[in-house]
This record gives sequence, structure tokens and C-alpha cells, in this order.
Amino acid sequence: MAELANNSTAPAAQAIDEARRRKLLELVRGRALARPTDLAEDEVMVWPSLVVVEAVSAVVFLGILTILSVLVNAPLLERANPQQTPNPSKAPWYFLNLQELLLHMDAGLAGVIVPTLALGGIAAIPYFDRSPLGVGILGTSSKGRKIIAFSAVFTTVVLTGMILIDEVIGTGTQWGIGRYLQEEQGAPEWVGGIVLSALIMAGTIGVFVVFVKGIFRPTRRELIIALFTGFFVAYWVLAIFGTSFRGEGQELTWPWNLPLEHH
Amino acid sequence: MRREQTLADRITGSAVWRSVVRHGYPDTQRNQALIIASNVFLHIHPVKIKRYATKVTYTFCLGGLSFFMFLVLTMTGVLLMFYYIPSESQAYESMLAIEGSVSFGQLMRNMHRWSAQGMVIAVFLHMGRVFYTGSYKPPREFNWVIGVLLLVTTFLLSFTGYLLPWDQLAYWAITVGSNIGGAAPIVGPQVNRILLGDLQIGQSTLIRFYTLHVIFLPLIAAFLMAVHFWRIRKDGGISGPL
Ligand code: HEM
Repeated sequence: MAELANNSTAPAAQAIDEARRRKLLELVRGRALARPTDLAEDEVMVWPSLVVVEAVSAVVFLGILTILSVLVNAPLLERANPQQTPNPSKAPWYFLNLQELLLHMDAGLAGVIVPTLALGGIAAIPYFDRSPLGVGILGTSSKGRKIIAFSAVFTTVVLTGMILIDEVIGTGTQWGIGRYLQEEQGAPEWVGGIVLSALIMAGTIGVFVVFVKGIFRPTRRELIIALFTGFFVAYWVLAIFGTSFRGEGQELTWPWNLPLEHH
Repeated sequence: MRREQTLADRITGSAVWRSVVRHGYPDTQRNQALIIASNVFLHIHPVKIKRYATKVTYTFCLGGLSFFMFLVLTMTGVLLMFYYIPSESQAYESMLAIEGSVSFGQLMRNMHRWSAQGMVIAVFLHMGRVFYTGSYKPPREFNWVIGVLLLVTTFLLSFTGYLLPWDQLAYWAITVGSNIGGAAPIVGPQVNRILLGDLQIGQSTLIRFYTLHVIFLPLIAAFLMAVHFWRIRKDGGISGPL
């Protein structure tokens, strides 16, 4: 809009041409003309430059929080009653991803081993990826950002697919294989609930890594980006399933059919 | 040339004022440096930082917001503590009282609840920001590990607070949650027993969760944050393009 308005006057048009010329020059020289010095040397006084940002964001945020708190009340249901189990009973929302996993496999695997491995893996990232390349750039590079997009879509689609398949065949039966081994072959419960489930998860991650490697030929950092994105997205996808799509008896249902508000 | 002394000049020139504030109005670099260095709350910052570190689109303020929410939670939490009774027979009634008869009680509770949810989200997203900008790379490895511990502490703070209202939501969410913990291989039953202090959720659970929630975990979080913030400075300020 502003550009259109400016175009009507000749000097402004010249200024735009000048700006284009400078941009082209920047492209050719590979760096911005406007940079006074190198980024790393360009320093400012914390007071006021940083303190102002902090103060303004604190005030804005406190404002939003206050308005939200005036408008929306925190939930308070009836008094706790150990005799009366609500259906469904749900953990706090940020653990509902674990509760969702729990429906599909052994409780110890879903609720303790998987999250422990995930957190341990996350904590270990800096000891695997030590190259300083790409620090300070969101997603490292345009390739990195493509990998993020690919991983996010892959994780969402595959995870949703796996949950739906399990739903059709029978939730917690490891797509029927676990049930077959247990019921027809007399295998103990842990064969399906732990071994098979762990294999399915590891296999899915393996397939994912093969895809990423095949498509992107990633560096180590980029492979870790793919895996971390997988975790990040899986956390929310599972949590959304748990909060919004699990109704009575933890059956899949639509959010508007949920009997109980969860916060 | 002498200019007339205003009231403000007289106040800021007085012995009392100068005993408290040891710098002049921060409109010169010297005073801007002094205000940071001589104020215990501000001296968490260096005097100068890289320009890119002030860009909102780099940090999205997420670490700062997490900390800010921790402060809001501490303040509203202390106010709630004046009225909340951690007893099986009175907890729920005290919640009703906070909502119904304490001035601004409902507002305090709402602010506490919503910023608790907000903090979990902010900390999680902050981790994402740090990850995607590669800010965990050396020399910041250890601060990343401290961060993971902060994430766990945040979850635990939220989880222990969840039980306190002693309503159906609280009771059964914690039942489900601690059953998940109790499913741990080998040590599961012990973990469950330590969490609940009993065979099922009751008075001993409530007092455990309460103590963890109002003093133990906040102290842990404050301790970890102190290390976290100190480390940011020791690692050369927040990361940036090379
Ligand atoms: C209660 C939780 C937390 C608080 C209050 C907090 C606070 C902060 C603040 C204020 C910063 C300064 C830059 C910024 O705002 O982004 C920061 C940086 C950092 N945080 Fe956190 N943080 C928390 C949790 C975490 C978590 C969960 C991680 C990672 C797992 C983490 C890792 C880091 C790292 C590595 C830096 C340095 C970033 C850089 O140099 O760019 N923090 N944190």
C-alpha cells in the first residue's frame, strides 16, 4: 500500500530504485551495507535498551493475564470423592500425552521409560552436536527449516495414523499382533505391551530417520533437528488427542462430546 | 550559571535519597552503567550487551516470560497461602471461601491457575527457541542441562499444585498421574507410596504435595534459575550469529 502511494511522486520512485540498487549490491557483496560493524561487536547499554524491552513485555503480559483472569474462572468441581470415579479420569493436560501412550502399551513403558529416555536424550543433545555451525539462526539454515516442516508433517500424520489404526483394530493390541501372540500363542502380556510396543516405536523412528537421511542428506545437527521436532510435535499431538478426543472409557470421540471440562 | 532548585532536585539531592540511590538520573552512559551495577535486581544483567540480544524476535521473550510467570506465581501463591488450609476436611471449603468471600480471592486464584498453565507452555516453547537457534552448543551445554532440570521442576510444581483444590478434577487427575508414576519398572510401588504417603490419596498425600508445592520445589526452581541466569552471563551472554 505504502509503495503504491509513494509511486505517484517521482522522487519517491527514485528512492525505491535506490533501495533496490542497494539490495542488489548487498546480494552481490553478500552482506548488508547498513551494518555498522560486525554483529558480534555491536553493543548497546542494557539500560535502557534491554530494560525497556523487559519492562514493556512484563506490563503487556501482566495486562493480558489480568484480563484473562477477570474473564475466565479457574475450574472448581464438586468436592473430591474417592468413591466416585469420573469417566473419563484424566491427568493434567501436559501429562495427557503419556496417558494417551498408556492406552496403547504397558504402563511402565509409556509412563516412565519413554519419558525418561526422551528427557535423557534431550539433555544429551549438546554432547552429540558440538559444531558451532548455525548458532543464532532459527532452524540453522533454509534446509534446516525444510527439515523442521517435513518432520512436523510426518510426525503429525504418522502419529495420527497409528492411533487411528490402533483404534480400528483394537486399542492396545499392537495392531492385533500383540493380541494374537497373547491369545493364540499364549505369550505373556509383556511380549505385546513392552517388547512389541517398543519395537513399533523404535521402528517408526527408524523409518523416519531413513526418510530424513534419504531426502535431505542431513548433517548431524540437521538430523537432531529432525528428531527434536519429532519429539516436540509428538508431545503436542498426543496431548491434543488426550485432552480433546478421548471421552468416556477413553474412547475416541469429538471434542464437543466430551463429558468433562479439563484444564 | 545556576538554575533554580526544583522540589525534585531537593529530594534527589537529600542525604536520605543519596544513601539509597547511588547514581544520578540514567541519561549518561556513566549513570546507565551505575544503575545496573549498583542495583541488586538489575545487576543480574551486564552493563552492555550485544544489540541482537535485545531483539524480541530472537528470544521471543520466552525465558523472560517463564521467569516473570514464576514471579507472578510466587506472589499470588503467597496470597493464596493466607487462606488455603491443607487439610482433607477443610481444603475444599477453603477454596470455596477464597472464591466466595475473600476480596479478590477469585482473581488471585485465577491468576495463579492461568499463569501456572502459561508457565508450562512458556518453558516448553523456550526450550524450542533455544534448540532451534542452536543455543545449546558449547559453551552452553551445561546450561541446557540445567534447563531440562528446570522443565522437570516446572512440571512437578504444576503437578503438585493440581491436587490442592481437593475437588474431583484434582483428586482424580492426581490419581491417574501417580498411577503412571507407580507403573515404573521395579521401583514403581515404592515411587507411588512415596508420592502418596499412603495407599491411596488422603491427608498424608495432601500435606506432601502442599509442602513440595509451596516451599520445596519453589526453592529448587529458584536455585536452578540462579545457576541458569549466572551461567548465561558466564557463557558470554545469550547466543547469537557468529
Ligand atoms: C523455569 C524455567 C526457565 C526459565 C525461567 C528460563 C529463563 C531463561 C532466560 C531469561 C534466558 C535468557 C534468554 C531468553 O530469554 O531466551 C534463558 C536462556 C537459556 N535457557 Fe532458559 N529458562 C528456563 C528453562 C529452560 C529450559 C527448559 C531449557 C532447555 C532445556 C533452557 C535452556 C536455556 C539456554 C541454553 C539458554 C541460553 C540461550 C542463549 O544463549 O541463547 N532454559 N533462560
